[in-house]
Amino acid sequence: MKILAMDTTAKAASVSLLTEEKVLAEYSVNVGLTHSQTIMPMCESLLQQAGCPVSEIDYFAVSNGPGSFTGLRIGIAAVKGLAYASSKPCVAVSTLDALSYNVPDFNGIICCVMDARCQQVYNALYLQENGGRRKKGPDRAISFTDLLEELKKEEKAIILVGDGALLCYNEYKAVLPNLVLSGPASRYQRASSVGLAALEKIASGEIISAGALVPEYLRLPQAQRELIKKRRLNP
Amino acid sequence: MKLYHSHSTKETEQIAADFAENLRAGDVIAYTGDLGAGKTAFTRGLAKGLGITEEVSSPTFALVHEYRGNGLVLYHFDMYRISGFDDLYSTGFFDYLDEPDAILAIEWSENIDGVLPPETITVSISSTGENDRKIQIFDRGESA
Repeated sequence: MKILAMDTTAKAASVSLLTEEKVLAEYSVNVGLTHSQTIMPMCESLLQQAGCPVSEIDYFAVSNGPGSFTGLRIGIAAVKGLAYASSKPCVAVSTLDALSYNVPDFNGIICCVMDARCQQVYNALYLQENGGRRKKGPDRAISFTDLLEELKKEEKAIILVGDGALLCYNEYKAVLPNLVLSGPASRYQRASSVGLAALEKIASGEIISAGALVPEYLRLPQAQRELIKKRRLNP
Repeated sequence: MKLYHSHSTKETEQIAADFAENLRAGDVIAYTGDLGAGKTAFTRGLAKGLGITEEVSSPTFALVHEYRGNGLVLYHFDMYRISGFDDLYSTGFFDYLDEPDAILAIEWSENIDGVLPPETITVSISSTGENDRKIQIFDRGESA
């Protein structure tokens, strides 16, 4: 079984080819938002280097949110097109779930955070111990301060993953002695993690058609009142 | 803050073109001023100063217009109809903010004041006569 996985939800763009046994190829670029221009050439190059024609792909997986408005639409449109043209099914993976696969060897709480602006992050928490992982709550948008209050109650080690990790680490490190920052190689969105998350979903039958693939935007409850407020908070 | 007095649309465009020479990638320009004050005329001059040859028109309908210059891209926004965060998010505004070669010029910036970057340049245009305009250009991060 071959999966082509993609993530364009934030500044990083990433594509990966994998099977149940291993990651065959991965291509990531983290230089800014030009995904509409880069993602298809990246796919083409990756498949060519891996010697795998598109027709051999069994599933197309993509992070479908949360994330940047334009980024989500680029990744989803690309995967939709590929899957539709080759009449193969899709797998939609939460961006935060995928991020939690970046740190498979960590024991404790995995705190996935994406910068949602206005002092807020998209977040989900996972408890990972003894080789098992359990999601502690749904994907959500939450303020820096509310998340901190929750994390204060955790006694286990906490690792921050995602493009909001450094931001949160700098905010929290003084008050959370059990906080760890993921390394630069495992911090950002990467397509191999999307693919690994997709494998689990395929095993449990959570596959959808290209037509059913849609972005999952998360609303920012606090952001509304920040918008017209006099300058200038953290944009 | 720099203060200019313009007596015609042409003069407003020239002031903007001169101002454009000091702009760099990542700059955000927030306009404040009434309807018809000359924000689009200012942007036309800005575009000219950035080496853009395309015709600049008001982005009121499309929310954002995109103009490609010499290595820079000018995004001209109109936030008049933006009344909430979801509206703003779905214009892709935050994604444009992250683009490495972008300059953003924003009409009706009052509507999104809370999320403008700290280094925003404010350009205030007000009418002082039929064709006369007072133009105040504040430095990056200087409050208007």
